[in-house]
Amino acid sequence: MAIFGLWVINKAGGLVYQRTFADGLAQLTSNENLVLAGTLHGIHAITARLSPIPGQSSGAQVIEGETFKLNVLLTLTGTKFILLTSPAEPASAIDVLLQKIYTLYSEKVMQNPFHTPEMPIRSEAFDTSLGALIS
Amino acid sequence: MNLGTVKINRHCTCVYYHDWHRTRRPKPAVEGGILPAVSQAVFAPVETNNNATLSSYGSPRNTLNSSGVVVAVNEINSQSTASPLLQAPPSPIAASSTGLAFDEEVKLVYGVVLSLRNMIKKLSGRDEQFVNYKTSAYKLHLFESLSGYKFIMLSDPSTESLRLILRQIYVGPFLEYVVRNPLVTMDSKEYGIDNEYFRTGVDRMIRGSSFFS
Repeated sequence: MAIFGLWVINKAGGLVYQRTFADGLAQLTSNENLVLAGTLHGIHAITARLSPIPGQSSGAQVIEGETFKLNVLLTLTGTKFILLTSPAEPASAIDVLLQKIYTLYSEKVMQNPFHTPEMPIRSEAFDTSLGALIS
Repeated sequence: MNLGTVKINRHCTCVYYHDWHRTRRPKPAVEGGILPAVSQAVFAPVETNNNATLSSYGSPRNTLNSSGVVVAVNEINSQSTASPLLQAPPSPIAASSTGLAFDEEVKLVYGVVLSLRNMIKKLSGRDEQFVNYKTSAYKLHLFESLSGYKFIMLSDPSTESLRLILRQIYVGPFLEYVVRNPLVTMDSKEYGIDNEYFRTGVDRMIRGSSFFS
């Protein structure tokens, strides 16, 4: 039961925040992280289109591999919060955690007058409060 | 609730499709966009040829299974003869839920699966398989055989992982009626793998399993 990492992707598909909390996944260069975030942004859009039933479908919310899973929270503004966890984590706990991360984001990042929206996040307050939340 | 099964071969072409509960039919593929012997339901409309019997289309009851290729459409209340033929349905097809022709939908599915697979492999650093993904409306399960065949199933979001069922389809009906069938050309770029035994075998297996409603 572990949380491996967090990504925050802006509405254009660019990675604005990336943090690893526990080992378990491969170490990637920052460039590789950027590429993966962009790919995930595209996949999220396509999965919304592939729904076999009529009506709206959201994009992918959970993507499972064998040793980890990706949980996606798409906010109303188009920002995506991606949490990488072990597969055993219960979905309800992860949803609650993602909402708390979103709250932290809106408090420490969006309410910071020196932060430009859609730009990479460089906020010590966000980092420390995130560390306190996830541990 | 299952929605459909799709099988994609090594050349990234859909070779089988079977659906059970799909509320809207997939649009037929454009001429030339799909292989014959994939599925009656989505084969492009053609002139009626000199086949002995014509099957008339009823509305399919279930569409489940998302196998990439629509190889056959199961009709419960059809007046068709026992063996479905590769005939286009005479009645007009309702608009598909995705608004796409079937072959385009298959390409999208394949693209998503391929990208997700590469991403998961990259992220984990090990040779790891992507298992499934879930949206608010459906869940897509993948099983990839060692030979490169991809078995994809779409179901409703609350289903548990169907990977085992896909593996059973591979080990059961697929090996029996497709691999060991001398009349079916595997790895063909021109033909899918639809045949009577395979279709009924898959159907029986899925309908008999616990998650099918």
